[in-house]
Amino acid sequence: MIQLHRVSKWYGAGPPKGVVAVDDVTLTIPSKQCVGLLGPNGAGKTTTIRMITGFHPPSAGSIRVHDLDTIDDSVQARRLIGYLPESTPLYPEMRVIDYLSYRAKLNGLNATRRRSGIAMALERCWLKDVQRRRISELSKGYKQRVGLGGALVHNPPVLILDEPTSGLDPSQIRETRSLIRELATDRTLVVSSHILPEIEQTCDRVIIIARGRVRADGSPRGLVDQIQQRGFPHTVEVGVPPTGRERVHRALASIHGVRSVELEADRTTEQWATFKVQPKDDVADLREDIARSIVVLGLVCRELRRAQPTLEQVFLRVIETDEQRAESDARRMAEAPA
Amino acid sequence: MNALTTICGRELSAMFRIPLGWIVIALFACLSAMVFVRQTLIPGEPATMREFFRIWWGLMLFLCPAISMRLFSEEFRSGTAETTMTAPVGDAAVVAGKFFAGLAFLVLMLAPTLVFVGVLASLARPDYGPILSGYLGLILLGMLYVAIGTLASACTGSQTLAFLGTLFTLLLLDLLPSRLAPLLPDQWAAMVYAASPSERARPFYAGLIDSAHIVYFLAVSTLTLTLATIVIQWRRWR
Repeated sequence: MIQLHRVSKWYGAGPPKGVVAVDDVTLTIPSKQCVGLLGPNGAGKTTTIRMITGFHPPSAGSIRVHDLDTIDDSVQARRLIGYLPESTPLYPEMRVIDYLSYRAKLNGLNATRRRSGIAMALERCWLKDVQRRRISELSKGYKQRVGLGGALVHNPPVLILDEPTSGLDPSQIRETRSLIRELATDRTLVVSSHILPEIEQTCDRVIIIARGRVRADGSPRGLVDQIQQRGFPHTVEVGVPPTGRERVHRALASIHGVRSVELEADRTTEQWATFKVQPKDDVADLREDIARSIVVLGLVCRELRRAQPTLEQVFLRVIETDEQRAESDARRMAEAPA
Repeated sequence: MNALTTICGRELSAMFRIPLGWIVIALFACLSAMVFVRQTLIPGEPATMREFFRIWWGLMLFLCPAISMRLFSEEFRSGTAETTMTAPVGDAAVVAGKFFAGLAFLVLMLAPTLVFVGVLASLARPDYGPILSGYLGLILLGMLYVAIGTLASACTGSQTLAFLGTLFTLLLLDLLPSRLAPLLPDQWAAMVYAASPSERARPFYAGLIDSAHIVYFLAVSTLTLTLATIVIQWRRWR
């Protein structure tokens, strides 16, 4: 379990002059949950992670990992955490197995536990083939696995990965993701990323951070349901020959709340025509009206569906509202008398 | 203690995992041999290694910064400091581990020169007392120099800056007594002499072992390493 209580971090002079990286964040991550920290670059993800791992102490507030304070019981708290920093720093001159052994020793493992820890890390991170190779000779994907193995070698109950797939090629990303999914089964996992599918596919819970604050928090599905589902396009496939299509177009366009209707040429055949109906911004669901007007025309309908917002759209909306808020804040500051 | 030896071991083995570590030691052994043959192995002269120690003493001004510059700077530059500093290890143990690795490398560079003692012994009957105290003096001086280098390396992510910072500090400490002390009133001059590591090391080469000097080297090295630990802690808060 990880608890952040009113945590802030600022660099330099502190507010109002210094840079505020994390601003009054309160969070609880229960044991064995897989959490994705999502946010644009510079949102405060890495700073939050660095505070949890004890690399930076928070400027205000407190962090507890399994009920150990990250400042007062720093060394004990760090023992519970496996951490893979962004950009996967490693010692290039070391052999894979020596590196894992070094990380195990740093975590105070005795010879027996060290052997089993190294064997487990080699096995779970698919490193057996390269265990005798020097890290400098490995590809980026393998280096990432070595970093993960190093974070995992003492079998910590909490695993924290900062941008674990950045800089990897698509097949390496797929491998790393499936590895992360597998690791998430028996421990608390915090993954940060600015790439959506990564979080969507691996995590039970998504926390969107922007400008140092938590802007949204929930399951990927829950977040999608939370946002207003208005203005998403509808698709309807109607059995109508080319000559009758103009009539259908007119009928759909006359429905109250429709902004525009388009014939989707690439999904249209001799007998079936697909129309994309775009509702106005404040209209959510037109499916009943569309179905009715098709029936009134005496035609049949093969498909009628409304587009579902994706997590990406949720993310963009959260970020956009955040940017608008930042702009209006800036305007207020500028207009305020000095 | 376990973590300290782990960090020390990794640091030291990093210097030898690449051939360069060995080559540096070999080159240095050749250089030392040349100095030994030219300066010490002279027929008719007394069988002492005083001249040899005097030259080593000067070489250490450059050697120690070169050994210590990478200790922390390299980790800051490559980002591995983040894994070291989030491992369940106290900052003091990290600093001590790195320092002992640097010192061990220096001692390893010094080790081949023991052959020269054997050469002297086979040709003449040297007085072993001054030789022993000379080596002790070199190691004590090296200890302080590497501690200063560790502090400089903890301050910056640039190895070049760490090297130059250490070099200038050591040169200043070394030159201060001969350049500044004569200009000062006696009381101040005495203080400058008392604070100067090279002045403290000088008696060792003459065969004098004074416990006050040993305490000086141990105390100032510990103080410097404590400062390095504070710098590392301060870097966390920044």
